[in-house]
This record gives sequence, structure tokens and C-alpha cells, in this order.
Amino acid sequence: MFERSHTVTITDTGESFRCGEGTVVLKAMVTLGYRGVTSGCHGGGCGVCKVRVVEGSYDAAAMSRAHVSEAEERDRVVLACRIRPRSDLRLSVVGGIGKVIARQQKKFGFV
Amino acid sequence: MGVMRIGHINIRVLDMDAALAHYEGVLGLTRTAKDDAGNVYLKGWDEWDKYSVILTPADKAGMINIAYKVEKDADLDVLGTRIRDYGITVDDLPEGAVAFCGRAIRFNLPSGHEMVLYAQKEMVGKAVGVTNPEPWPDGLKGAGVHWLDHALLMCELDPEKGINKVAENTKFMRECLDFYLSEQVMVGPDGDIQAATWMFRTSTPHDIAFVGGPVMGLHHLAFYLDDWSAVLKAADVMAKRQVKVDVTPQRHGITRGSTIYFFDPSGNRNETFAGLGYLAQPDMPVITWNEENLWRGIFYHTGEEAGKFTTVYT
Repeated sequence: MFERSHTVTITDTGESFRCGEGTVVLKAMVTLGYRGVTSGCHGGGCGVCKVRVVEGSYDAAAMSRAHVSEAEERDRVVLACRIRPRSDLRLSVVGGIGKVIARQQKKFGFV
Repeated sequence: MGVMRIGHINIRVLDMDAALAHYEGVLGLTRTAKDDAGNVYLKGWDEWDKYSVILTPADKAGMINIAYKVEKDADLDVLGTRIRDYGITVDDLPEGAVAFCGRAIRFNLPSGHEMVLYAQKEMVGKAVGVTNPEPWPDGLKGAGVHWLDHALLMCELDPEKGINKVAENTKFMRECLDFYLSEQVMVGPDGDIQAATWMFRTSTPHDIAFVGGPVMGLHHLAFYLDDWSAVLKAADVMAKRQVKVDVTPQRHGITRGSTIYFFDPSGNRNETFAGLGYLAQPDMPVITWNEENLWRGIFYHTGEEAGKFTTVYT
């Protein structure tokens, strides 16, 4: 029995990959070698994979309220490690793709 | 006299069933209690006190507090006075306020992290007992970790604004709680900014560590394994159970431990840490890593940042 899968597109980079209905979007993304969304704890705790679902429907598991408020979640802003697709999805990175690059520059070792 | 060792850590989890599947099934801790608020208490097989991890259901991840056990009840008065004299507010907690513990004191480190000290906790014994014990018990699950070993707390560091909570915590731990400094990372143009420290009260290189970051938080809680082969087996357990591994088996330059970093199902970073490292003693000279070599200190083989060490924490 094959699981149903959908196409997920990251609008910032144009990357597009397939994700099964039982698989979380971020996991499918990293497994297939894409990098458009920052990959972090994969547990809904750290908040670095924050995205807006521009199009499509999904199921979401519990995610940290320190990073996604209830209002944001209602507004389809979620953590990519907590959502499973129910249709094709189009995502945009919250903070934009620039945030991935900005965090690499460190002046004092760790910061 | 004074602080003996790490006692327990209280962690917030988003999904208790998933958290228990991880802390019991992957790490191999044993559940010892659950209270009316839904907190679950767990211990490693080689620990004798009632618990070393408290999981609290919550809507975000991270650490609620970290507790250290002192040797004598009177130590709580001595250390409490020192902390107050240092200018930090101390709450006196009656017996039972910290579950299964005697009276305790509670305060916040200069970084803001909440710390608890207590002298007595209900004792349940090791899984192998104390009479002619076997070296390890039957029925261990997953990695079968021995005990909670240490934690690393992320502390605000912004040298341009004059903020260095790593240095403030280190000074506090030294002056008030008699912790010793084993290793430090010094950064900046003049190499005079203390960006990370490892401190101990036991005879191992760290019972707590502080690393600078943009905001305070929990970097990881670490559990002890015997040796490199136990680390490899732990990594196999994680792969089998599809745990999100941050950094595969490696050696730290700092502390010399062998390690795996991985995340619990709420995104709290865990570590399995093996080996003594080296004998840490109060009179040992402090080891310093400079900025050019700091990543060799953290991940010795590659000398580069691996995983999401500085950017992802709760």
C-alpha cells in the first residue's frame, strides 16, 4: 500500500519535492537534499523552520508557542517540522531566505 | 561540603507520550513517579535518588530549572547567605516543594536560568542493588544511559553592548557555589571575551557549561555512557527509532568526551556523553581555547561547526 503524496514548493527558492501524507514536510525536504527552509530540532521546539503556507491544506502537530502564536497558527504560519500535507503545498519562509545567510556571520566566536 | 553533583533537570515537553517514548525507549530511563499536574519523573539505572529528569507538559520547549544536590543540609544556609550577599534574591522552599526532596533554595543565575539547591531526595537505589551487584541490569531499553551527567546553558552574549552572561555566571558559580573552571573559550580582537566555560564540582571536567548566544536558553542535557562502543550503539538506537540526530558520534576537544547530539520529540537537545574525559581537580590549571581553535574544541575531528550547534536550541 503506497501512501498518498503531494508536491511541496518553497516559493523563495523554487525548490519542489514530493512529501507523503504521513511525513512531515521538513523531514521530506532534508531527506531529499533540499535546503530552502532552515532545518533545526525537528521537534517543534526551536522555531527556525518557520514558514507561511501560502496554498494548500495540512495537518499540524503541537509546536512551541514561544515561536508560533495561536494567531499566527490560525493565519497559516507554522513550523515546517510539524506539518503533514493533505494537498499540494506552497510555502514561503518567514523572515525570508536572507535569514539563513545572516545567521552564519559571527564576530565573536559563537555570536 | 557544598555542591556534590547535578541532581535533576526539569524540561518542558509538547507531547508527553512522545517524550516518554524517547526518554524511556531511546535513552533507557525508568519512570519513577507521576504527579497530579502531569509531571513525570525518571531516573537512570545507575542513579540511586528518585529521579534526575522531570518532564512537564507545556506549550513550548526548554528548561524550567536545573537542580544541584549539596552534601549537608547546613550547606543550604551557607550557600543561601552567600548568594544573597552577592545581591541575588533567594527563595526558601519548604520540604516537599521540590518533589520528593527536603527543603531547598531557589534563585536565578545572572543569565536568568533558574537554579535549585537541595540536600535530600528520596532514595530508591540503583537497578543492580548494593549487595554483590552485577555490572549492569537486565532489561535495559535503548541506549541504557547511566545517569544525568551535565547540562549546557546558553547565556546572552553581546560584547558590543557590554553583555556577557557567560562571564557573569562563571564568576557567580566560582564565588558563591565553589565551582571550579576546567576550560574556557576566549574570543574577540584581544582574546579577552570569555565566550564559553566548563565548570565542575565532581572529578569530571564539567557538571555545568555556559556558552554565549543571542538569547538565553537550554543548549542540551547530557547523559552518561561508559565508552565509545556504547556511544556507537546509542547512535544505532537513534537511527532505528528515527530520532533527529544533530551531530553523529564525535570527540570533543574540550572535556575529551565522545558524544552524540540529538533532539527529543519537543526539540530539546540531548547528548550522550561517554568517558571520564580526564581527572578534574580544584588545583588543575585552566585550559583555554582561542577563537581560531574553538571549533576544534567543540568538534575535534573536523574543527568546524557541525549540525546546528550555535543556531538551534530551546
